[in-house]
Amino acid sequence: MNMALKEMKKNKTRFLIIGAVVFLISLLTFLLSGLANGLSEDNMASIRNLPEGNFHLTEDAEGSYTRSNLDEATVQSATGQNNYAFSVQMGGLEKSERKYSLAFFNSTSASPFPQPDKGEVVLDSSVKEEGVSVGDTLTHPQTGEELEVTGFADNERFSHSPAAFVNQEEFSSMFRIEDFQVLYTENEKDISGLETFSKSEFLSSIPSYQAEQMTLSMILWFLVLISGMLFAIFFYMMNVQKTGMFGILKAIGVRTRRLFYMMWVQMLTITSLAVLLSGLAGQTAGVLLPEAMPYDLPISTTLALAVVFLVVGFIGSTFSGLRIRQIKPLEAIQQGEG
Amino acid sequence: METFHLKNIRKTFKNGEVEEEVLKGVNLSLRPGEITALTGASGSGKSTLLTIAAGLQETSEGEISFKGKNLADVKEEKLRKVRAEEFGFIFQSSHLVPFLTVEEQLFMMLEVAGKKKEEEEVTAILSKVGLSHRRKAYPSSLSGGEKQRAAIARSVIHRPSVLFADEPTASLDSKKSEEVMQLLEDMTKERGMATLLVTHETEMLSYADRVVHMEDGKILV
Repeated sequence: MNMALKEMKKNKTRFLIIGAVVFLISLLTFLLSGLANGLSEDNMASIRNLPEGNFHLTEDAEGSYTRSNLDEATVQSATGQNNYAFSVQMGGLEKSERKYSLAFFNSTSASPFPQPDKGEVVLDSSVKEEGVSVGDTLTHPQTGEELEVTGFADNERFSHSPAAFVNQEEFSSMFRIEDFQVLYTENEKDISGLETFSKSEFLSSIPSYQAEQMTLSMILWFLVLISGMLFAIFFYMMNVQKTGMFGILKAIGVRTRRLFYMMWVQMLTITSLAVLLSGLAGQTAGVLLPEAMPYDLPISTTLALAVVFLVVGFIGSTFSGLRIRQIKPLEAIQQGEG
Repeated sequence: METFHLKNIRKTFKNGEVEEEVLKGVNLSLRPGEITALTGASGSGKSTLLTIAAGLQETSEGEISFKGKNLADVKEEKLRKVRAEEFGFIFQSSHLVPFLTVEEQLFMMLEVAGKKKEEEEVTAILSKVGLSHRRKAYPSSLSGGEKQRAAIARSVIHRPSVLFADEPTASLDSKKSEEVMQLLEDMTKERGMATLLVTHETEMLSYADRVVHMEDGKILV
């Protein structure tokens, strides 16, 4: 006999309330996670898209890519198949009166970054929505150089701006920078005179990215913590209310373990249903939210958070359930109707 | 044939530095098919004796002999198993599980006692206690008398050897009290249970086969 489900069926309102609260908290967590991930993509998609590997900066750059200048000899010797150097600078292009803020990329290899010919530019596809098409000519306001749009690349963004991939010559001319800033190697960890970072370390070294993600992560994990406490408080209160009943059940021979199972089944049922619904709502939000709002909630993140919710709910309810162990049947009987 | 013996049961409660002896060497035997009524004034120790006999609290000294075992020395898990399989309980309040119907209360008890879910047995006992028409009812919709009859059905459905009844009629009016006591008597005889009844209502003693009077933690001979 499943007493847990029978209790839920009999006390629908009570369990619906806690289910609704878990649904709202988990939905908020999913939305926030989608937003954090979306902002992260919007901020650093071009770096996040790169395969796991090693990012090298000059030692005197002190971990900041903006201060790193790789000398030509190092770039020549270290680049090759799957190893390449790149630079990134913030800037803009104009078309008639319209200005476009862009993150300019330049690299030694045509893969993974596009490497157009001189006088050409490849833009992130989001610029299409701002009225730019293949064949359009954009002008660099400072140098007056004209670049023809030869193609678009999907999901290539940096520092909340669409990426623009240009030739080395144009890049040097626009930003007066001859050297590459970052060296990417797939396997080589130690290169003389350079400091090595993993992809996550490199991302974390970019100040805007770290500050943004840390704030959102903090809110996110607080929500997870709150949901765990919510479970603990809710089940604690329920257990207090049921002290008499638990005592009587213990007196007639029900195992304490069975009372715990009862609580766990209830917790898992509530959490699973609430998280399933909020997960679906979180995924639906990705379709409904406006394009301008950076939102990205991968299924893997949804599943990982769902598991976290189940674990936190389990810990919270178990913690509160420790009270069940302490219930003495005799006290329950003496208290009267349970 | 006696099935249940309490030998030299002593119980002392400590209240800070003060020790109070509530039971002072009580001896009592229960026989199958008999109701043994335990009477006495409030504070005489009768309820304490019942809860000790039922394995709901420890004795300070003495032996509880049941089926060749001394329950006073048995560990909690084994004691729980004895309570589930061999004992039946009726309390002052019915203490029914609020979210189970009358018949589900009985199925639960069968499950706890490790017995099969027998529809016929449940139907028979509900008929016996006059609750056939209320088998799908939840406790909240039962009257006080119905609740207590449901509690009696739950306490005997698994055919326990010993039934402990602590003031089972305390919350009922005299008519319902007599119904409940008649039922207890019938069940005790039919099922051959050894029933220990704690009551302070003298009218109920007529249903008992033996009456034992307690005073100041001792049984008066």
